Amino acid sequence: MGAEVQAGNRSSREINQEIKDLIRSGENRIRVRGTQAQHNLAVGILSPVSISFEGSVGYYCGGLMDGPDVEILGSAGWGLGESMAAGTIQVTGNAGNGCGASIRGGTLVVRGSTAARAGISMKGGLLIIGGGCGYMTGFMSQKGTVIVCGNAGPGLGDSMYEGRIFVGGEIQELGNDAVVEEPDQEDWDFLSRNLEPRGFPVPSSFKKVVAGRRLWNFNRKERDLWKEVL
Amino acid sequence: MCGIVGYLNRSGSGSSAPIGSILLGMLKSLDCRGPDSAGVAIFGPARTPNLKLRIKLNGGASLADSADRVRTIVSERVPVIESVTVQEYLQLLVGPVEDAKSLLPPLEKDLDDFELVSGGHQLEIVKQVGSPTHLDTGYGISRLTGTHGIGHTRLSTESRVDLSHSQPFGVHGVADLATVHNGHITNYHKLRGRYEQMGVRFFTENDSEVIGVYLAHQMSRGRTFREALESSLDDFDGSFSYLAASGNELAYAKDRFGFKPLLVAESEDWVAIATEEIALRSTLTGDFDALEPGVSRVRIWSLPEPATETA
Repeated sequence: MGAEVQAGNRSSREINQEIKDLIRSGENRIRVRGTQAQHNLAVGILSPVSISFEGSVGYYCGGLMDGPDVEILGSAGWGLGESMAAGTIQVTGNAGNGCGASIRGGTLVVRGSTAARAGISMKGGLLIIGGGCGYMTGFMSQKGTVIVCGNAGPGLGDSMYEGRIFVGGEIQELGNDAVVEEPDQEDWDFLSRNLEPRGFPVPSSFKKVVAGRRLWNFNRKERDLWKEVL
Repeated sequence: MCGIVGYLNRSGSGSSAPIGSILLGMLKSLDCRGPDSAGVAIFGPARTPNLKLRIKLNGGASLADSADRVRTIVSERVPVIESVTVQEYLQLLVGPVEDAKSLLPPLEKDLDDFELVSGGHQLEIVKQVGSPTHLDTGYGISRLTGTHGIGHTRLSTESRVDLSHSQPFGVHGVADLATVHNGHITNYHKLRGRYEQMGVRFFTENDSEVIGVYLAHQMSRGRTFREALESSLDDFDGSFSYLAASGNELAYAKDRFGFKPLLVAESEDWVAIATEEIALRSTLTGDFDALEPGVSRVRIWSLPEPATETA
C-alpha cells in the first residue's frame, strides 16, 4: 500500500523531509496528498522509489532525480524534471515553461500540453507530450527525443545540435536551422513502442525535426544565416 | 523577480466580493518573490459622481500639517466630502466631479510634491514597503470589497525601495487605471524620454511606471484598451508579464519570449491570475485548472455591468 504524506499548506522543505525520511526507513511507495503547487517537490531523489503527487506541483518537481518513478495527478509548474538523470515522470495535466530542461536520461510524459521551451538543452532521455507544445520547444537540444502528439508552437527545434523531435500535428514555425525529415521504419517502431503502451494513439502521420547542421561551424559564405540567428 | 496577482468577480455585483482578502491571500504566497514591498489596487463600489483620492503625505513636516496643506490645495479645486488619514496616506472623497480627466491633471500640478497614488470613482491603491502581511495590519485591506483588483510583491532590481516606487501603479491624470508588472521594460529610457517631451511627468525611476503611461497615451489617441495592450507587445522590449485593470476590465499581456511566468484560472464565478500556481491553490477553493498562456498574448475580461453604488 505504501506510505502517505499530507501536503496541504505545508512548506516544500517539510514535505521533502518527510519523503526522504520514509525512503530512508525503507518505504518504496509514497503518496503525497493534497499538494498545492509547492515548489521543488521530490528534487534530488536518488533511489528507485515510486512517488505519487495528488494535486498540482510547482517549479522543478523531480529535478536532479536519478531513478524514481514520479506521478503527478495534476499539473506542473516551470522546470519539471530539470536535469534528471534516470527514472520516469508522468503528469496527467499540463506543464509550464522549460519542462524536461537539460535532462540526461529517463522518460518524462506530459499528457496535457507544455508551455515555452520544453526539452531545452536536452542531453538525452525521452520527453512525450500528449497535447501541443509552446514556443521554442527543443531549443539547443543536444541528444534525446521529444515526441509531440499535438501541434507545435513557433521556433520549434531552434539551434538544435543533435537529437530529434517528432510532431504528430501541425508545426506553426520551425526554428533556425531546424529541418523536417521523413521518419523511417525505425522511427515508426520507436514511436509505437513508446506511445502505445502508454495509451497514446499513434497519429497517422509524423514529422521528424532534426538539426540542419548549418550552425555547427561558422561559414563566411553564410553570413546572412548567422546574422539572422544572432 | 516579482509576484503579480489579479482577481475579477464575474458577477460584477458591486461590493459583495472580498477582493481585499483574496488578493492578500494570493500575495502572501508570493511574498518570497518580492520581499521589498507589496500593494494592491482594488476597484470598489463606484462613488460616481464623486472621486476617491489617495495622496501620499510626505515625511518631514508632521503628517497632520501635510494633510491640512493637501486638503487646502484640493478644496480649491473641488469640494472635499470625507477625509481620513491612514498612516502615510490621506484618503479623500471629493465631488461632485463631472469629468475626472479635466480635474486630475491640474489638481496634480497644484499638489506638486504630494503624489496622488490613486484617483478614481472605484479605484483605491494601497502599497507600502515590506511584506504583504503589513498591508493588512497597517491598512486593513482584507476588509476591502469590490469587483476586481490586482496586487504586487516587489523585488527591486533597478530603482529604489520606497512607497512611490512600489506597485501597483495608478496612472497620473487618468481615473480608474492601474498596472502591475513582473519583468523589465528595457526600452524604458527611450519611451520615457519620448513621453517627457510630450510633457508627461514621471514620479519614479521604476521602469514599470511607463506601462500605464503608454496605455493611457494610446487610449488618448483613440485606441481601445485591447488595441493599446496589443500594440504594447511590439512597443515594449524586454521581459514582461503585466496586468492592467480599468473600471470594468482586467487584462494581462505577456511578452513574445515567455520570459515571465503567469498562470490563469477561471471558474463560472471568477477569474484569477498569478505569477505562480501556489498563489491560486492556497487561496481559492474548488476544482480548477491553472493554465500558462502562450507567448505574445493579451486577454481581457470585462465585468457584465459597471459596479453600482451601494448604500
